[in-house]
Amino acid sequence: MLKLEKVSKSFGDVKAVEDITFEVENGEFVFITGASGAGKTTVIKLILREYLPDTGQIIIDGEDITKAKDKEIPKIRQQIGVVFQDFKVLSERTLRENIEVALAVAKVPQNEWKERVNHVLKLVGLMERGNFFPSQLAGGELQRTALARALVINPKVILADEPTGNLDWETADSIMDLFDKINKEGKTIIMATHHKGIIDKMKKRVIEIEKGKIVKDSGKKESHKEKPKEEVAEEK
Amino acid sequence: MAAIFVLTTTFFVATVLSIFIYSSGQVIRYFETRPQIIAFLKDDTTESDITILEAKLASDARLKNVSYISKEKALEIYKEATSENPLLSELVSPSIFPASLEFSVNDLTDAESVIDEVKKESIVEEVGFTASLGGESSLTDVVGRLRKVTYYIRVGGSVFVGFLLGTSLLVILIIIGMRITARRGEIEILDLIGATPGFIRSPILIEAVLYALIGVFIGWLSSFILILYSTPTLIRYFGDIPVLPSNTLRLLIILLIILGSEVLIGIVLSLTGSILAVSRARRKK
Repeated sequence: MLKLEKVSKSFGDVKAVEDITFEVENGEFVFITGASGAGKTTVIKLILREYLPDTGQIIIDGEDITKAKDKEIPKIRQQIGVVFQDFKVLSERTLRENIEVALAVAKVPQNEWKERVNHVLKLVGLMERGNFFPSQLAGGELQRTALARALVINPKVILADEPTGNLDWETADSIMDLFDKINKEGKTIIMATHHKGIIDKMKKRVIEIEKGKIVKDSGKKESHKEKPKEEVAEEK
Repeated sequence: MAAIFVLTTTFFVATVLSIFIYSSGQVIRYFETRPQIIAFLKDDTTESDITILEAKLASDARLKNVSYISKEKALEIYKEATSENPLLSELVSPSIFPASLEFSVNDLTDAESVIDEVKKESIVEEVGFTASLGGESSLTDVVGRLRKVTYYIRVGGSVFVGFLLGTSLLVILIIIGMRITARRGEIEILDLIGATPGFIRSPILIEAVLYALIGVFIGWLSSFILILYSTPTLIRYFGDIPVLPSNTLRLLIILLIILGSEVLIGIVLSLTGSILAVSRARRKK
């Protein structure tokens, strides 16, 4: 469903990523890891078409997004759910309104909003806090809000850039459980993180980047689709 | 508040100036359409001679508003003019007033030649000008001066309103720019979750249009109150000269036309300002 083919991006003389090639299949959970400045966030931003690569192709569902015109970018982004380290929630809107914004952006008919928002709020465990403002919520809850906003548009893939970076270990762990749950429901997740503990615990596919180049790709590992049904049931 | 204040000032001045331009136009029209030339007729002139000369003047393309004033009509006008002093009208009879043909010229530069021609008519005793204005040179002078003053009001006023509109545009640009800076985080989030430029821009544009509409309305309303308040005084002061319509409905229609034009200008102004501010912000990104 997602393929990066010999993708390179430089900022002046600095090569942020070089010759990046990998493929992610439907339902996979992939970690992109590496030290700070290795190029993880650049990869996420390239997939989100925040950056245009200097060379290479980025194909989502058979469509090369590097060839998309500026006016087509919103359409591409509406198919991708995004979660950031700093949550990026709208501070002047309630949690429920933050999620509704994503539906308004995706032009989802208003009569479907309530049901869809309730569904994702329940999924992330924030049903009781829908009318709270971000300033009234803890970091973990804000990240759950961001995840709910990403999920509500039913995206093809979820991109998460250091989603646990601002959270304590316990909260990070619960957020990762949530991501795992969502992945098990069939969502493709690509997560940039340098949190080794999380990567080790999750036992998913890991693409390691060093100085903009892929130095290790553990290949498809234990994605939901690959697992025998009994194993998934056991985990539940 | 700053945007609304500047827009209010702009549209207050624009409304007052529009009315001023309308009034000066009315004053010019008043003087131009007054009978400027009066041909006093000899006492022994027959009705048929008068009719022939009247028809001749009426068919002259240089002239307009040709009308015959009989001795009786002249007395009536005199009585009306001296109504405050009835003794004066009692002392006169129609016989002392000569009958006359009154008319105006379309272009005052033709006045001299027209007078010379009319003087040559056998039934004409004397040719004169509107007495209160004191003759040809004075009339030309007054209308000429009025035209000049009106021209300066129009040009000067337009430049001033243009300057105010420019200031308003700059203020909108700066204020919307500041609002965009304050909302940069929100704009970034919306952009990342796939909002179209139109979706991101629309609240900013609506805000700017609202500023403009409030500014237009307050500016227009203030000048409307000022004009309504001063209309009776102006009408009394200028007497016969219709500087403002004495009919309230007609005055209201003029003010509503001004309001409509200002709403249109306000919307164009605010949209231009906000679109420029948004594109500046995008370039800075």
